[in-house]
Amino acid sequence: MADIDPKLLEILVCPLTKAPLRYDRDKQELISIEAGLAYPIRDGIPIMLVDEARRLDDAEEARLGAKPAP
Amino acid sequence: MLGSAHPLDLFDRRALRRFRERAARHWGGADFLVADVAERLADRLDDVQRRFPVALDLGCRGGVLARLLNGRGGIETLVQMDPADGFARRAPAPRVVAEAELLPFKPAAFDLILSVLDLHHVNDLPGALVQIRRALKPDGLLLAALFAGETLTGLRRAWMEAELVEQGGAGSRVSPFADPRDLGALLQRAGFAAPVIDSDALEVSYDSAFNLMRDLRAMGEGNALVERARNFTRRATMLRAVEFYDAGADATGRITARFEVVTLTAWAPLETR
Repeated sequence: MADIDPKLLEILVCPLTKAPLRYDRDKQELISIEAGLAYPIRDGIPIMLVDEARRLDDAEEARLGAKPAP
Repeated sequence: MLGSAHPLDLFDRRALRRFRERAARHWGGADFLVADVAERLADRLDDVQRRFPVALDLGCRGGVLARLLNGRGGIETLVQMDPADGFARRAPAPRVVAEAELLPFKPAAFDLILSVLDLHHVNDLPGALVQIRRALKPDGLLLAALFAGETLTGLRRAWMEAELVEQGGAGSRVSPFADPRDLGALLQRAGFAAPVIDSDALEVSYDSAFNLMRDLRAMGEGNALVERARNFTRRATMLRAVEFYDAGADATGRITARFEVVTLTAWAPLETR
């Protein structure tokens, strides 16, 4: 599987909030905690489109520290 | 709701992406205008006595400009960005799928941002220019070509006449383009220093408006407004528009499509505000 270019990873932020992203290598996602979105990486190409992003569920958000655990 | 089109947005961004995805699948052949404008932009870069190690091609399509540049301008990394996955995939790495209106880059990420025939699709051009300026390093350069002003006035007129005849009212079919005279002020407002705007008129000869429209679609330039209204646009209207446009053919039976390509040259200030 093609990995994301490290130089690209270094300069990417969330397009909505401009906040830093968390790289989930296993899921091949870039996670924006503030926006509650996970942007997919397909074949090493990050898809930084809001309507292609997956919404984080409450458990994920809690685990990532966005919200206190219920 | 995620990614829904704002009611006042001129361009439906999803429709626009769909257009570009379709164009990407059949890329090649109709890219002469893109190649020509990319060539001119590359020549301009040669005139700048500077090195730009990290650059971005905003709206890269299949990587036309990247292949032309091939390290010119001292570029070591050229990030290829396009709203269409299909286009990004065809470009050389590193690649990212994103929209000019929602740039996914850190402040001061690039020495240079290039763009070939893309920024005329942006709904909020002032907002996009601010994001571009922020993504540039201090003293970084924006070099962008876009359609403006008098682009495709003939086609616009033909569509309007066809709609009046076929549908009893005229809507919008070919994107309205920015007035080149406004762009300098827009760049200044976005915080750029010393913006320079120049305009080139390009003329392409066709045997029929039908083929002009086919080329526009192949470039991914089909109008998002057209796409959205497709269910309501009868084929008869399109054929009538072709008829009206072709009626203006010259003695040799050919019609001329005029494009006004504006080039923006603007620097991010040394001291960012």
